[in-house]
Amino acid sequence: MTSVLIEARGLVLRYATGRVALEGVSFSASPGELVVILGANGSGKSTILRCIAGILNPTEGCVSVDSREISRLSGRPLREARMAVGMIFQHANLVRRRSVLANVMTGTLGQHRTLATALGRLPRTEMPFALACLDEVGLRELAHQRAGTLSGGQAQRVSVARALAQRPRALLADEPVASLDPEAAEDLMRLLRRLSRDDRIAVLCVLHQPELARRYADRIIGLRCGRIVFDERPSKVRDHDVGALYENLAA
Amino acid sequence: MNERLLGDLSARKRDQGDMRYAPSRALPFLLVFAFLIALAQATLVVQARPQDLVTGAYGMADILRRAWPPDFGRLGKTLWPALETVDIALFGTTVGVLIALPLAILAARNTTPAGPFYAASRGIIALARAVPDLVWALLFVTAVGLGPFPGALAISVHSVGMLGRLFAEVIEDMDMGPVEALTMTGAGRMQIFSHAVVPSVLPSLFGIALYRLDENMRSSLVLGFVGAGGIGFELLTAMNLFQYRTVSLLLLVTFVLVIAAERLSAALRRWID
Repeated sequence: MTSVLIEARGLVLRYATGRVALEGVSFSASPGELVVILGANGSGKSTILRCIAGILNPTEGCVSVDSREISRLSGRPLREARMAVGMIFQHANLVRRRSVLANVMTGTLGQHRTLATALGRLPRTEMPFALACLDEVGLRELAHQRAGTLSGGQAQRVSVARALAQRPRALLADEPVASLDPEAAEDLMRLLRRLSRDDRIAVLCVLHQPELARRYADRIIGLRCGRIVFDERPSKVRDHDVGALYENLAA
Repeated sequence: MNERLLGDLSARKRDQGDMRYAPSRALPFLLVFAFLIALAQATLVVQARPQDLVTGAYGMADILRRAWPPDFGRLGKTLWPALETVDIALFGTTVGVLIALPLAILAARNTTPAGPFYAASRGIIALARAVPDLVWALLFVTAVGLGPFPGALAISVHSVGMLGRLFAEVIEDMDMGPVEALTMTGAGRMQIFSHAVVPSVLPSLFGIALYRLDENMRSSLVLGFVGAGGIGFELLTAMNLFQYRTVSLLLLVTFVLVIAAERLSAALRRWID
């Protein structure tokens, strides 16, 4: 773990309303590393992901992915930089009426900016690769099923396959297991860990379950009121530290 | 002391609550009363006189007797106007869909590129819808002359209004999750539109368009009355010539057309689901 893939330096985010979402957040993530961010609602977890994905621009500080500064880009360069970052949401966000394979293939659209794909054609040459991505999440046999017929856990894995289809260097997951049953949640975390190890992808995952974080993370970042409280390996994080993230927030 | 003050305050709050609640209990009665008054004035204004129905019964029976049996000998001659009526609806609906779709994209909050586009397209849709198709037909007959073409134009314009609004609503109600997901993959605007928006909304849009086709069939029957071709025009001519047996035949053909369109449209919509 030598090179750094995601780097955030001194992130400050102040909304126009005066609310401060992030107050000087710095951290990094390397290829092959699974970093979990823990924190109460409103602590700024999702805001960090949004800054890294280039959806939000930090008021101060900068974000770089693969040594490209996301926070300084816009338009086409931003889109190209985004392709290095795959995103997984709380909901799978698949197009329910299309096949699983078609949904995965849409992940490659950014690399095929042609008139045909703009008019609704899928890049056919990517079919073998899309199938390989489905293989990676263990759902190749469902390739031709409608996405709307999948279970929550399957749909979320297909959304991971779609993110893989964009050939990302990093994966951002925003509460990916929040609407899954415990078993499907374990499956998904196992999958994310395997992807980070085997494919050398940096995975940054926001979670609400400290015990999942302990078991799957290489590093846990604790966030409270827009500040990083700890950034440690799971073995060094004490229950007391985790509990403190959620205490006395009204004060 | 403090407690008494608090007690006072909460009592006052309760009072205010009661006062706010009181009118809402009287509201249903007020509404019913207002409706009755409105109905009374409506009865006066439309000059509803049931006795006219009785004296008119003789004339009605006379027309019915003269209209029987339908003049089936003229069935062959009604086929062309019938086809015209169907084609006015088909052409008008198709053109309506083709124009309404891009307008709806501009008129849906979540897909419009900018505020001015939104306002302009909403305006066009509202105008096309606010003017009844019969009035559009009158305008187009004046502009391009008698015949089925002004009818088709009228149906097109009115359909743009009706479809544009419904299409925009469907687009606004769609799940934006896939759009967000595709944005993150680095896909372009058009790609996101054709791969995430279109597949999500297409079935609903088809259903709405088919329903419109059914409605337009009925409209195109009436449009002939203002000279815009089709069965309506034949009906008007026969009425003016007191050929009641032809009228009854035309009404029979109309009935068949309307039912057929309704059934076909319903069957296709079921098939889409």
